Amino acid sequence: MRRRLPLLAAAVCLTLPNAAPREQHPGRGRVTRLHTALAQPPVLANMSRLAHTVEVSLTAAPGRLSLVPGTTSEVFAYNGRVPGPTLDVHEGDHVIVHFRNSLPEPTTVHWHGLHIPASADGSPLDPVMPGQQHDYVFDIAPGTAGTYWYHPHPDRRAGYQVAMGLFGAIIVRAEDDPLPASISEKLLILSDNRFRADGSADFPGLHSTQAEVDAENGREGNVLFVNGQLAPSVDIRAGEVQRWRIINASAARIYRLAIPGQELLELGHGPGFFAKPVWTREILLANSQRVELLVRGAGAPGSAVPLQTLPYDRYDPHTRPADWNETHELLSLRISAGAPASSVRIPATLRPVPALDTSHVAEHRVLVLTQGMINGKMMDLARVDFTARLHTTEIWEIENLVGMDHPFHLHGFRFQVLDRDGVPEPFPYWLDTVNVPPHSAVRIVVHFDDFPGKWMYHCHILDHEDMGMMGILQLQ
Amino acid sequence: MRETGAGRWSLALAVLVVLAAFVMPRIVATPQAALAATPRVSSADDPVARGRAIIVTSACGYCHGGDANPASPDWLQGMKTQLNEFKIGPCALKPDAMPCFHTRPRNLTPDNLTGMGRFSERQIFNALRYGLRPEDTPDVEITSSTPGVGNFPEHPHYLAPPMPWPSWRQKPDQDLWAIAAYLKRGLKPVRNKVPDSEGPPDFWASEYTVEKIGPYPVPAFPTANERMPVAQAGSPPK
Repeated sequence: MRRRLPLLAAAVCLTLPNAAPREQHPGRGRVTRLHTALAQPPVLANMSRLAHTVEVSLTAAPGRLSLVPGTTSEVFAYNGRVPGPTLDVHEGDHVIVHFRNSLPEPTTVHWHGLHIPASADGSPLDPVMPGQQHDYVFDIAPGTAGTYWYHPHPDRRAGYQVAMGLFGAIIVRAEDDPLPASISEKLLILSDNRFRADGSADFPGLHSTQAEVDAENGREGNVLFVNGQLAPSVDIRAGEVQRWRIINASAARIYRLAIPGQELLELGHGPGFFAKPVWTREILLANSQRVELLVRGAGAPGSAVPLQTLPYDRYDPHTRPADWNETHELLSLRISAGAPASSVRIPATLRPVPALDTSHVAEHRVLVLTQGMINGKMMDLARVDFTARLHTTEIWEIENLVGMDHPFHLHGFRFQVLDRDGVPEPFPYWLDTVNVPPHSAVRIVVHFDDFPGKWMYHCHILDHEDMGMMGILQLQ
Repeated sequence: MRETGAGRWSLALAVLVVLAAFVMPRIVATPQAALAATPRVSSADDPVARGRAIIVTSACGYCHGGDANPASPDWLQGMKTQLNEFKIGPCALKPDAMPCFHTRPRNLTPDNLTGMGRFSERQIFNALRYGLRPEDTPDVEITSSTPGVGNFPEHPHYLAPPMPWPSWRQKPDQDLWAIAAYLKRGLKPVRNKVPDSEGPPDFWASEYTVEKIGPYPVPAFPTANERMPVAQAGSPPK
């Protein structure tokens, strides 16, 4: 040891020959506020004439798009756009997706959160090779109306392909939607990215400090998009109520959403409605999570309030970015001129969410999350980590042993949180990803009602998933 | 995917600041603690008793809690107040100097969420022998002590200074296994959530190179600094 100090030596002084240089890239720091009107991704065109059938074509291909104004970027895109077109379906629909992989590498399409057969899940076990076509065929389960999304899930390449532009929304509608149809609806897909000066997506060199940081934090971008736009605007009349579906499609960034001075009315957290709407000041949206909420136009015509993401310390303290405590403006909510909207009646109840029955639990499992591992192991596609029986209920205790958040996702099955660090969740609701903060435990209950096969569970920080922070549940 | 960051940070000076002001006076003020630490259980065969004796005599409790007294209410429970936090870097000398890292002694009791409960004895052994953080390292037998060689991680994440693992790794295997046995089996779990230490993004890899901490195991005796003892002829004069 070069240091010659007693065992109890305490403070160690560092000299800094050269502090790590901060690379300058376009878009670093404050984003130019353009406030173009928020656009909605187009809906995938239904080619079927049959009732309750949605048949669409989806192609993943390389392309060149302008992601940041003034530059063009090499991208991977679904049907030529980033984000991809929206899959808009109803409960009970039969869905056929004719997918073509025109990428130079294997990919899959994972229908995040949908309760569908394992063979249609688009897991890394079922890659679609370059140039190949694959039909994903599944039915939308009754009672699952909500907001979901689709993205690639190939072995070790999910983070790269999502960063290159492959992600899109899924909206599942109910015939008996509890909200009045007169309420206008907006989809907000939140993503971030990092670019080089030439506009290409910036991936760190193999042995760079940034690679080390990305391996810990996940690759977090400094340019924040809503539906692929920079700081767009949404017009709302005074008193008008809008229904927003928000998706966190970022590889690693967790959003802490708020509109200053406004309470938001939360309707559900992705895979299903809440039983009752819930007022909240802010919403923590971890990777892959969604939220549906109502916002209200409040203020004088011509005024605007931002949708913000507030500081949230999800980071390993070794790699916490210096600017982690900055607030970012995602979009501007502008009060438009014109007559105030007439009031709408918001229902007091949405859809019943019965608590899953825990009187007959077939298995209690413990899943220990460390850095890049679950239960001390990295992913092996040839290994089955757990075997569960169909038609049983299980309780999983997910323990996070490290100093950063890990959002935990189970494929194919929505679940309910029982408690967090022993504190019971206030009411039952549906999730397919639950965020687990440092040195804490979350217990979830899941019922395996259908769909035998192999199911992934993993950390939804895509870099962690790609490094192998994933396991396989065999359901039989 | 990761870089060692070799040479980017360099530990040029090691100074007693925090402990000089904090721990040392306590040691001086409580000499009876050292006496009480003398193990009373025969530790020759029992790894738990042996581990206890090693922990008591290796001063683990002076950072991790309880000094040398297993009966202390803080025994090995990790940092309880910010007074027990180590400032590492220029800020150890000047409060606002940057960078400023923080080492927070861990809870060593076998609590699942906040201590060693979910780590295997092998992971604890690997931490002591190789300095590898148990939460960042698979639960496997490590086959070398050089990054990238065998299954030693190419970009290792090391325990933060001032944890003196570069010295203690030289203890015999059975001593390190005994420490792990005591922590896992001989201690009651206590929940004490210690915030994670804050270090450089290379997790101290550039500080714990063989050039800086020497080889494992140590070179054969005698090195250039040492000599073979001269055989004593006859008995000392009366």
